[in-house]
Parts: sequence; C-alpha cells; structure tokens
Amino acid sequence: METIVQNIQGVPLNHYILFCSIIFTIGVMGVLIRRNVIIIMMSVELMLNSVNLLLTAFSVHHGDAAGQVFVFFIMALAAAEVAVGLAIIVMVYRNTRSVDINALNRLRG
Amino acid sequence: MSAIITLSLLAILVLYLGLFKARRALLPVSLLGLVATVVLYGVQWGKTAEPLYSGMVLFDHFAVVFSVVCVILTILVLLLSKDYFDKSSPHVAEYYALLLFSLTGAVLVVSFHNLAMLFIGIEIMSVALYILAGIRKKDFASNEAALKYFLMGAYSTGFLLFGIALLYGASGSFDLAAIKEYVVSNPQGISPLFYAGILLLIVSLAFKLGAAPFHFWTPDVYDGSPILITIFMATVVKTAAIAGFLRLFYFCFIPLQDFWVPVLLVMTIITLFVGNLTAIVQQSVKRMLAYSSISHAGYLLFAIVAIGATSANSVLFYVTAYSLSTIIGFGSLILVKRATGSEHFEAFNGLAKKNPYLSLAIAIAMLSLAGIPLTAGFVGKFMMFSGVLADYQVLLVVLAVINAAMGIFYYFRVIVAMYFKPLDRDAIVVSGPYRVVFFLAALITLLLGVYPAWLTGLI
Amino acid sequence: MSVFYFVAFLSIFFALMTIFTKNPVHSVLYLVITFFTFTVHYILLNAQFLAVVNFIVYMGAIMVLFLFVLMLLNLNKDTEPLKSNLVKFMGVIAGMCLLVTLAASFRLLQISDPVVLKNPDIGLVSNLGKVLFSDFLLPFEISSILLLTAMVGAVLLAKNDPKKV
Repeated sequence: METIVQNIQGVPLNHYILFCSIIFTIGVMGVLIRRNVIIIMMSVELMLNSVNLLLTAFSVHHGDAAGQVFVFFIMALAAAEVAVGLAIIVMVYRNTRSVDINALNRLRG
Repeated sequence: MSAIITLSLLAILVLYLGLFKARRALLPVSLLGLVATVVLYGVQWGKTAEPLYSGMVLFDHFAVVFSVVCVILTILVLLLSKDYFDKSSPHVAEYYALLLFSLTGAVLVVSFHNLAMLFIGIEIMSVALYILAGIRKKDFASNEAALKYFLMGAYSTGFLLFGIALLYGASGSFDLAAIKEYVVSNPQGISPLFYAGILLLIVSLAFKLGAAPFHFWTPDVYDGSPILITIFMATVVKTAAIAGFLRLFYFCFIPLQDFWVPVLLVMTIITLFVGNLTAIVQQSVKRMLAYSSISHAGYLLFAIVAIGATSANSVLFYVTAYSLSTIIGFGSLILVKRATGSEHFEAFNGLAKKNPYLSLAIAIAMLSLAGIPLTAGFVGKFMMFSGVLADYQVLLVVLAVINAAMGIFYYFRVIVAMYFKPLDRDAIVVSGPYRVVFFLAALITLLLGVYPAWLTGLI
Repeated sequence: MSVFYFVAFLSIFFALMTIFTKNPVHSVLYLVITFFTFTVHYILLNAQFLAVVNFIVYMGAIMVLFLFVLMLLNLNKDTEPLKSNLVKFMGVIAGMCLLVTLAASFRLLQISDPVVLKNPDIGLVSNLGKVLFSDFLLPFEISSILLLTAMVGAVLLAKNDPKKV
C-alpha cells in the first residue's frame, strides 16, 4: 500500500480537474453527436463517472470523507436512472421498433 | 420533517391500497394524507427553524410556505384526476404513488440545506416524472415525451453534479452555511472553480425550470404527456425548481452577484422572447400554454436577477398566481378535449353560450396569465417589475412590458374564441371535482388580485 | 506518478472509442474498460471502498443491464444511421468550447499543490460508514425513496399489459 500511496504524491490537483473535465466533455459530445438512445445514456454515465472521480480527488485533497460519501448517492442515482431509462427505451422500442432519436420527431411546431 | 415522513408513508400506503384493489379509497386517502401534511406544516409555523439532521434540511418560513404551496397544488391536481386515469390503465394506484413521490422530491428541493439534499430531491422529483410522462404506453406522443424528458433530465443532472463537485472542490463542504462562510470570508480569493461551478448550476437549474436556451424539451414534453401530468409539471415542478434556485442563490451566492447576474439577465431576456414569440404562432392551446410557461419561467427569473430580501415574496406570489391559472387552463383543456377531441383554439369556439361559468373561469385564468389588473397575475408581475426597477435595470423592464403585451395577444385568442365566435355545440359536462377546483382557483386568483397583502407578508 | 498519466491516457482513449464506435456492443465493451481504468484511479487515490463499489456496481450491474437490453432488442448490429457531418461537427465544436471554457477557468487556479493523502484512512470502509451513518443519514434514508420510485416505475413501464378482452 505504501508504494501506491507514494505514487499519488506529486500529481497536481489541476491535472485531476483537467482530466475529469476532458472525460466530462467527451460525455457531453457523445450526447450531442450520437443518435442511438442507448449510447446517449452511456455518454451520460461517462459524465457521472467523471464527476465521481473529481469528487474523490477533492475529497482526498481536502482530507474530508464527505466527497466520497456523495459518490455513493451518485451511484444510487445512476442505478435508478439506468433502470428507468432502459424501461422507457424498451417501451418505446415496442411501439416504434427503433431506438433512433430522430424517429421520435412527430411533435413539432 | 414529520411532513416529509407523512408524504413518503402516504405514497407507500397508496401502493398497498393498489395491491388490495381498494380503488375507491385511493383518492380520498391521498387527499386526506395531503391535508394532514398541510396541517403538520401549519403546526410547525412560527417556531424558530434550526437545520436538522446535521444540517441537511432547514424548515424556515421560506421552506414551509413553498412546501405548502406545492402540496395544495398537488391536492388540486389530484382532484382533477378523478376518473382521468381510470380509463387509461389498471395501475391507478401506482400513478398516485408516483405523484406523491414526486411531491416528496419537490418538498425536499424547497427545504434543502445541503447540496446532497438538493441533488436527491431533484432526482426523486424528476425520476417519478420521467415515468409519469410515459404512462400512456401505446400513445406515441407520450412515449416521445417520456424519452425526451428522461434524456434531457439525465443530461442536466450531469451538469448539476459537475457544478456541485466544483463547489465542493473550492469550498470543501456541501453544507450551505459552510459554502456561505467560504464566500463571505474570502472576498478576494474565491477559487475559479467556484465560478465555473455556479455557471454549471445555472445551466442545470435552467434546464429543470425550462428557461431558454435550455428550454427546447419543454414544448414537446408538455405537449406529449397526458394533460394531468403536464399540469403537475407546469405547476408543482416549476414551483419547486424556482424555489430551489432562489434558495441556493439567496443563501450562498449573493456576494458574487456581479459575476452571475449578467448571465441570468441575458438568459431572462432570451427566455421571454423565445417563449412569447413562439406562443403567438401556435394553433394548439396545449402548445400555446407550454410555450407561455417558458415565458413565465422568464418572469420568474426576474426575482433572481434582482435578488434581495423581497425576492422570495415576489416569487411566491407570482408562482401561486401562475400555477392557479395554469391549473384552470389545462384543466379546462381536459374537458374540451374530451368533448371535441381537439386541442385547437377552434375547440373553444362558442363555449360561453353553453358553459357560462366554465368560460368565466377560463377567462379569469387567461386574464391573470396575461397580467390584467384585479387578478393575481397582475400583482405578481407588478412585484417582479418593481423589484427589478429598484435595481435600476430599466431596459429589462421595458423589454418585459413589450413581452407582456405580446402575451395579452395570444391569451385573448382563447377569450375571443369563447365569447365572440358563435358555434352551435353541446354543453360540456363539468363534473363536481372540476367545479370545485375551478371555482377555488378562480376565486383565489381574484381575491389575491384585490387583497395581495394576504400572501405577501408570509415570508 | 507516471502511473496516473498512463491510466488517464487509457481512460480518455477508451472514452473516445466509446462514443465514436459504430457498433453499440463494442461501445458497451469500451465503456466497461473505461470504468475499469476509473477503478484503477480510485485505487491510486486510496479510495479502496469506492474502487470495489465502482467495480461491482458500474462494471457489473449497470453494464450488464446495458448489454442485456442491447441483446434483448437485438440491436447488436451497426445499423445506426449516423447524424449528418454538420451535426457531428457542431457537436464536437460545442464540446470543445465547453472544454476550453472549463480549462481556461482552471488555468487561473493558483493552487496546483500535489494531491497529498492527508489522512490515508479516509477511503476505508469504517471511516466512510461513520460519515455516512452520522452526517449523511438523512440523504441515505431518502435515497431509498428514489430507488423505490425507480423500481415501481421500471416495472410499470416495461410490463406488458394484458390485452383487454
């Protein structure tokens, strides 16, 4: 364990923030450029994960456990959201036989 | 706290009632439970509020008043739900339970004192609504509404969480008091993380509130969902979202006003114009009301632009006036759609001859939404505008008055259709609960328009 | 120290693969690898419990759910008609704008102190449990409502209604 702990000494906090922002941005881009609903949901998962890592990094930096506890709540949310989201997708698929968001553009105006 | 426990237990009780096929008991039990919640809040009134459970929630006057507003609006919505759900599906108990869960989330959003509670409250509120938007499983529009609402909601949750993470990184705590302490004690050395966090929070809360440029989901979702759920979204959820927004910014971010007020100012102006200009060209009343709800989100943001001690009062007043009128508007749409099968303006033609009282209620609601004097909507708009004027943002008020004029145009189309376009038609049957709801809402709208002091002194 | 940069590079690479691969099943698999690299990050930060939970919940439960639905709906072919290049371009531009804005605001950050484990026990189960069940007890209880809502809703939506006679 000592070596692992040694490993982390020296990475600046900024690099953690930058890294999490990059992953978050990749998630945002994924939502914007894909049409498959399931992949959009996966991109949202990426966004949530980047937040988790960022919270953990801050929590270690501040020496405060609250950040890591918050990660639990995000995980609970992610599980709930995925369950509901996939149920919605299954329901939509039954009616339209498609998971393409552009197939769902009847409402316009 | 007892109110939140009552609400969640009530929802579970309703689920059990569904299990034992006690369908007739559903509505009375839910209503009784909600009334009990209001009473419990009333008992709490006036006691000095302390943050409870290591600073997780704080039931100050702000929280109590907005919670009571949310609960009362839900009571009205539930009254309208009598024999609305029964036709569509056998799972009525689940719908009531989900509405009550969503209400629990809304109550948490208005009484949070820790960002963890804000986050969980928003999520409970939204997750229940993703499902409710899609309860017409065979209906294409309802499916689309559920999917869009879900995707947009999940996306905005990502922004909310990133914002919260950045605030935590800068201040080292999720507690509102600690964050405020951080802002006040380092006037110079506020970390850039904190600013980025505020921006991301604005983005995500604007998503939830339906303010431009993050409004694009609103019309489709409001249009596609079953009307009753739309009423809930447009009233309770909007109330909770703006109250949570105001609470967060009023508690923590006032010293940084110079940074975020310009951002919100631009958003407010865009919201007003987008909402009103698109509402004018709509042919369907449902979509018109959906777009007009965007513009009302713009008016609500005024209170945050001119943030101060009176903001809470003006938001309370505006949101009450807006919600009551919205309930009448969408509620009458349920009846009209049932009778004619159409949601267009033409469906209202000649309504005044056959249903004079219903038309009167709709007219009052439209006048209030448009902000005509002697209705609550006028007083609400007046309070918003005077708050901004006190801050010398004259330009904003001028733009808002132009928008209010545009609003009058499309709200009056409904009134004109009802009173001045004769058409032979059958009278619409208005059942008992609908009469009660419309009567109460119209009465309160008028009373508040004449005696605004009843509501303004509360917070 | 270099371990961090290596793993971070892998995370970014696989995250990009996730959103740019055409075949949805490959996307899920790349996402699993991304999550695995995140688990490594948690271990590097000495957040051992989170590492385990991340491994079980994300890589186990959530990903299996995704794969399950993909297979259930028989979507494992890359039939997705891609968005027009314009939309893609706009998406990437918007994303880059966000990134530049975020990065620029962090550039101003003076504190560039290395992340130091002030308290090495922080990520251990006993410590987290104490905080969770004292300070964060209320959110913990309330999140049960969230899970119940999701459960009721998922069953309600995904259930096939019996045909009315």
